[in-house]
Amino acid sequence: MNLSYRIYHVFVRNLISYKRFVLTTFLVSLIEPLFYLITFGIGMGAYMGLFGGKPYLNFLVPGVLVSSVMMSSSFECMYGTFVKMVHERLYDSLIATPVSAEDAIAGDIAWGAFRGLISGTLMMLVAMIMGVLPASPYRVALVLALLILVGGLFASLGMIVTSYAPNFDFFNYYSELVITPMLFFSGVFFPLDRFPEWMKGFAQVLPLTHAVKISRAVFSGEFQPGLWLSILYVFALGTVAFMVAVRRMKKRLVK
Amino acid sequence: MPTIITARDLTKNYGDLVAVKGISFAIEEGECFGFLGPNGAGKTTTVKMIHCVSPMTSGTLLVDGMPASIDNRKVKALCGVIPQEINLDIDLTVRENLMVFARFFDIPRAEARTRIAELLKFVELEAKRDCKIDQLSTGMKRRLLVARALLNKPRFIIADEPTTGLDPQARHLIWQRLRQLKAQGSTLILTTQYMEEAQQLCDRIVVMFEGKILKEGLPSRLIEEEIGREVVEIRAPASEDERLIAELGSLSCGHERVGDTLFFYCRDGHGIILKLAELDLPNTVHRPATLEDVFLKLTGRSLIE
Repeated sequence: MNLSYRIYHVFVRNLISYKRFVLTTFLVSLIEPLFYLITFGIGMGAYMGLFGGKPYLNFLVPGVLVSSVMMSSSFECMYGTFVKMVHERLYDSLIATPVSAEDAIAGDIAWGAFRGLISGTLMMLVAMIMGVLPASPYRVALVLALLILVGGLFASLGMIVTSYAPNFDFFNYYSELVITPMLFFSGVFFPLDRFPEWMKGFAQVLPLTHAVKISRAVFSGEFQPGLWLSILYVFALGTVAFMVAVRRMKKRLVK
Repeated sequence: MPTIITARDLTKNYGDLVAVKGISFAIEEGECFGFLGPNGAGKTTTVKMIHCVSPMTSGTLLVDGMPASIDNRKVKALCGVIPQEINLDIDLTVRENLMVFARFFDIPRAEARTRIAELLKFVELEAKRDCKIDQLSTGMKRRLLVARALLNKPRFIIADEPTTGLDPQARHLIWQRLRQLKAQGSTLILTTQYMEEAQQLCDRIVVMFEGKILKEGLPSRLIEEEIGREVVEIRAPASEDERLIAELGSLSCGHERVGDTLFFYCRDGHGIILKLAELDLPNTVHRPATLEDVFLKLTGRSLIE
């Protein structure tokens, strides 16, 4: 794999172009998760009673946080990358310079993860204003690290989808058949314990389940014994997805 | 002049399609070398292999003594590419486009700034430096591509059909700039399907067709060797061929029927012209031979001797 420090140059290119969309994307990244927090957290939470001794909102925030990262990072590396690749032919010009195809793709995955981090951070600020805080200040740094990890994972997965995508419509399959179900099967909105066994098993395959578990642990400060398995799973899947994404995309870019 | 690029038996397959079929050529430092051919001849594929964005299937390709293998960053750093498709970064302004590209080549920031100012002047886009790309005309975009290709002070410049889709003014401006670069000692590699462009710019050309090199040489020499100096076109139905060839064949060095026209190629057209006056044919054109004639002869139909 022909990677170099030029990943950073590609990242900076995205950052420069981003300054023109920054406000609109801030709004978009905020509105959807905010809608979840208000409707589910406050609206539904009023009927839910306490979850582990705390209001429902405290249960909800860690999950919604990682799922907003999932959304932003996935979509950035799907729609964003597809436009750059097919409509703007940006990669063609990039790889004619000392930037390799691998640098360009890794730079875009890093960018996708960064977009996720921004969404997640904005969400966290809103949650903090609503009174939901990680157990201690240093945990905020842990949350941010987790957001980057989750962002990298879903950016890579989105990139794999893009490597197969003949057109925009293709992304609907992934977002409707994978992303949306994941949102409901990963314990974001309710605990998984009352699922039938087969559903629990299915949930364990979903990367978001593990991301939610880790996020909840970081917020509450209660680290269950099985947690390191979740961390390992997210790491391992992220690494594999990154390698596959770079390889697949290179095949698409270099002919 | 030392050789900068050497290709031997260069071959490229895309799946079952053989795009380039074992071609060999050598490009010298400081010359303008043209790949002339119709769409699908393999010109773009060939230059993509030279600047290391497309892996070759077999053969050898050396650029400045280095193998031009895929992703050879050293080769890519030597080269400036004016691409066939306008692939400017439409999310950025004119100046940002160049700044970002300078980073890709690791040009220090201060140096990049002066270089960009010079280049914007060179391509007459100073006034547009803060414009978005969609505010530029096609001609301006093409000029910006020229500036972008020069950022890294390339040892050689690849211009892949650099004037496609331009009006005459814009085209001539690009040609002037390319000639200026050549005068300053740059090596130029041009692909084109426009004969005029090849004649205007190239010292040497190869005519490519269906992945092979059909002919190589100086444009003027190729015309003389293949066609002669002059061409007489007679628009007449094919049924007249026999009679006309009997009358005019001995005065020319070759003839060809293409569609509604019978072409006579000759060193000196006077004999034919006099004869034509005698025959009183209404629809005739007498003109100097061009590269286009060479091209059509080589890629289209062969002479009927």
